Amino acid sequence: MLTLTTALLTGTALATEKAAEECVQTKVWDAYAEGWGVRTLTSTTLQPGKTRNYLVTLYAGNEYRIETCGDEAVTNLDVLLYDTEGNVLVRDQTDDRQPSFTYKPESTSTFYVVVYLRGVKEKSTDAGVGMAVVYK
Amino acid sequence: MTRWSILILALVACSGGQPAQHGPETPHPEPEAPEAPKPDAMPDTPVLDAAALAKSAENTALVPSPVETERALVAAGVETQLASLIPKHTFDLEKSDVDHAAVRTGVVLGDMLLTVKTAEKDKLIERLESVRKGLGQLEGGSDIDKTLNDYVASIQADAISRDELLKEFDELSGAIIPELEFNGKERVVPLIQAGSWLEGANLVAQAVKAKGTPAAADGLLKQPAVVAYFSKYVKTEAEAPQQVTKTLEASLATLQGLAEKKEPLTAEDIDTVIKTTSDVLGLL
Repeated sequence: MLTLTTALLTGTALATEKAAEECVQTKVWDAYAEGWGVRTLTSTTLQPGKTRNYLVTLYAGNEYRIETCGDEAVTNLDVLLYDTEGNVLVRDQTDDRQPSFTYKPESTSTFYVVVYLRGVKEKSTDAGVGMAVVYK
Repeated sequence: MTRWSILILALVACSGGQPAQHGPETPHPEPEAPEAPKPDAMPDTPVLDAAALAKSAENTALVPSPVETERALVAAGVETQLASLIPKHTFDLEKSDVDHAAVRTGVVLGDMLLTVKTAEKDKLIERLESVRKGLGQLEGGSDIDKTLNDYVASIQADAISRDELLKEFDELSGAIIPELEFNGKERVVPLIQAGSWLEGANLVAQAVKAKGTPAAADGLLKQPAVVAYFSKYVKTEAEAPQQVTKTLEASLATLQGLAEKKEPLTAEDIDTVIKTTSDVLGLL
């Protein structure tokens, strides 16, 4: 349970993380209408220049879409897919705060989804970020 | 908006917004600055080598769902509905220790996901009540209990469609349960996931055995990272190992060996998967 002090200290971060998670959740619901299912939906708080890295197993034969959202402090969020050797396989091609990409692996394997906070509005020190893995 | 929305947001709040397992990875050794660095000061691509990724990565999204596994099975040429292969489990719902309750709840959750669109109403409610009971034994909290109870009422009243339920239960499995804290017991979520995954592996093995195409399971059962993830939590058991834990550990060791096999899976390998997963499922 949060103490009042903790709540006060983290209140801003929580609010922005909630906003990011709600944004991703909306994308997931929209994806359901197109026949996608959800593997994971999660959120976190990131500082500019930092990444959050998620290990994922992706099945051959399935198509995957990685959806992300940054909160309103974010100006540029990136999402990338790395193989286990550290090579970038896919990356989003946008300069916005809701990047996504699709990927259909040739063989079943593990990969890393990397969410990278590249740009925030001036004076922002951290931001809420949501990420979902959907498949079909 | 689904009913989980409020619960998800509450979970975010209760987690303090902090990462569950690892802190954020720093692509460059940048000093902590009170103000954000300029966007153009950051590299296009974060510099992350294999070691840094392996050290920092979270496992939140590692384990595929049973429904996802079924889709991959179809893509591999095995047109079998896994739901049709689910046996009549006779679980002891009163066994409330972490090992039993978590793995059993995972198995039932997997079955529920695979059958949500086709199961008889009574069977669906029975599975949902089993999941609810297991999460209660695992100290999942009153919010999840109330939400699952609401679903039982909605199903009984035919007030929710099966399509909607699939969406809701998908979210329960992929977003809600992984965020629950289970009173600080770190092993609970991996063991629930292990239960779902083992049930899926058992059903996949049965499906390819019936079709006589063992190699079709290569892309589905050879998941060394997933098995290693489960094994890590089984092996970090602090208390005296329970029978389920011991059997689960042995089963995962066998599956790890098969996952690392270079050659295609054989009919004998598939029989081994069926036996070793059934050994665990039979103890629940």
